[in-house]
Amino acid sequence: MESVNEIKEALSARSRTATLDELRSEGRKRVRLIRAEHVAQMISEAVHAAIEHSGLLDQEEVDRLVEKSRQEFKSILREREQELARSRETEEALEAREGELTELKSRFGELTRALASTRAELQQVQSELEVARELPAPVAPPPAPAAAPSSDMLMALVQEMANLKANLMQAQAPQAAPAPGADFSAAIEKLAGSLNDRLETLGKKMGVSAAVGGDAPTDFGSLFDAGESKLESNMDNIQVKQKAGGGIAANLARLKKLKGGG
Amino acid sequence: MTEQDQFDSNIDQGADTTVALGKGLDVGTANLAAAVQNDEGGITVNVERNAFLDIPSDAYSKNMLTKLKVPYVVHNGKLVVIGEAAFELANVFGRETRRPMADGLVSPNEQDALPMMKMIIQKILGEPQVPGENCYFCVPAPSLDVDNNVVYHQGLFESLIGKLGYTARAINEAHAVVFSELADNDFTGIGLSFGGGMANACITYKSIPCLSFSVARGGDWIDKNVANVLGCPRSKATAIKERGIDIRDPKSREEEAVAIYYRSLINYVLSNIKSRFESGQNMPSFKEPIDIACAGGTSMIGGFIEVFREEFAKIDFPIPVGRIFRSEEALTAVAKGCLVAAAIGES
Repeated sequence: MESVNEIKEALSARSRTATLDELRSEGRKRVRLIRAEHVAQMISEAVHAAIEHSGLLDQEEVDRLVEKSRQEFKSILREREQELARSRETEEALEAREGELTELKSRFGELTRALASTRAELQQVQSELEVARELPAPVAPPPAPAAAPSSDMLMALVQEMANLKANLMQAQAPQAAPAPGADFSAAIEKLAGSLNDRLETLGKKMGVSAAVGGDAPTDFGSLFDAGESKLESNMDNIQVKQKAGGGIAANLARLKKLKGGG
Repeated sequence: MTEQDQFDSNIDQGADTTVALGKGLDVGTANLAAAVQNDEGGITVNVERNAFLDIPSDAYSKNMLTKLKVPYVVHNGKLVVIGEAAFELANVFGRETRRPMADGLVSPNEQDALPMMKMIIQKILGEPQVPGENCYFCVPAPSLDVDNNVVYHQGLFESLIGKLGYTARAINEAHAVVFSELADNDFTGIGLSFGGGMANACITYKSIPCLSFSVARGGDWIDKNVANVLGCPRSKATAIKERGIDIRDPKSREEEAVAIYYRSLINYVLSNIKSRFESGQNMPSFKEPIDIACAGGTSMIGGFIEVFREEFAKIDFPIPVGRIFRSEEALTAVAKGCLVAAAIGES
């Protein structure tokens, strides 16, 4: 009975399915049918007859060969099934990758919109700065916030820009691993670079470029100024707490010795 | 006589009236300290608390503060009391002091405190003896446990100190501890600075820093947690901590809270240092056991070094360690280390 099923599977694998309409369209009005059991029986009989007539093998050897053939058949069938499963897994992985790509595209769109918005803000601040610079200089020292952005405003702006940059870099991080996102990562990196350049340009104009990652020395000293010419204070008349400590001659001598100068 | 000779004679003779060049500045979250060599062969350190308190401005208060020699500044129509006096007044009034720095760096929430901080630094540092005199100031190392960036902080103080007429140079806070405390070890070992906002660590080999990092917990973290559990202002918690208690032998519920959080802080710092060492990145190796020098205001509490040793014994430290000690001048050791760096720079 098992051989009949195997024959059925083999026939199924090597035959095609056609509807009656399709057969009719091919010009066939009648078809001959044969049961799988009969095919199996015919094959079995043919094989046994051929072997018997050959006189080369006894019945026991024939049965052994039949069993071996059956095992071979099962093994091939299993392999085909495994190939089919692998193919399905690959298909599912492909679908997952496509989903990720769609998500990345969506995030890319969001980041692009955020970037555009930031650029617009930066341009607005630049314009305001230009306008402020073009105003005639007052004779007397002006109150701090009137003519130029205050320290607080600069700090807030720099902080905001740094945050935006950090967010952008953070968003970029998980996209680097999968192969399909490689191009996208490069695009994000390019955008981040472009944003950096713009921030740097604006920062330099405002004198705070190093705060967003520049290497050039920047003068932050004005942030310590109160905006008033001189603060009223009694600090000059106050003595600060003093502590005496051991000398550093020995430390210096050791250091000089290490440096080869002692 | 060459400039080098003159420098050496100033140090060695001590009694010479000319003071050697170079100044060290500890820009700490809790305290600001400036060190300079004096004409007696020792050093003098000016210390002021890095805090302020604003109170309503009126003529009477101003007169009183002047008579009491309490430093103040009038800023934006308010009377701003500065330094230790602000801390004391805050405790009297049950208020919190305002702090220009948090977690070892300039506080983003107190930008208008910078002018006050400038006045304190100007006061403790004084004028440069010659234009462009070296002033080494300390900066924290990047933290293991929080995402921070010292570039902005460092840039701010370089600019400020430069404006005061000095040549400003930054040095890692724990590296300064090594310069101050590990001369007998040829500046090889581990320097630890327990400050108000952070704990900094630096491993050096013959004065060269091999590895430095920080964790963003310090005395302020203890104050915050003690204040939370006791339901009092942080300034009060600080006062409890600084009134001379011994964390091995707490005498009250308040002291018990301080002791618990101190032990927790020490354990946290040691665990982080250990895991950093074990991570194996840029790890130096030493043939002989190295010493650990602790410094910083937070390490000044009674029983600190004993508890440190107890907690150290509990962990399997990956580097052989010899002596563990606390600086005899824990509060001023960082400023002193900065001064050593500045003086050697001048020579």
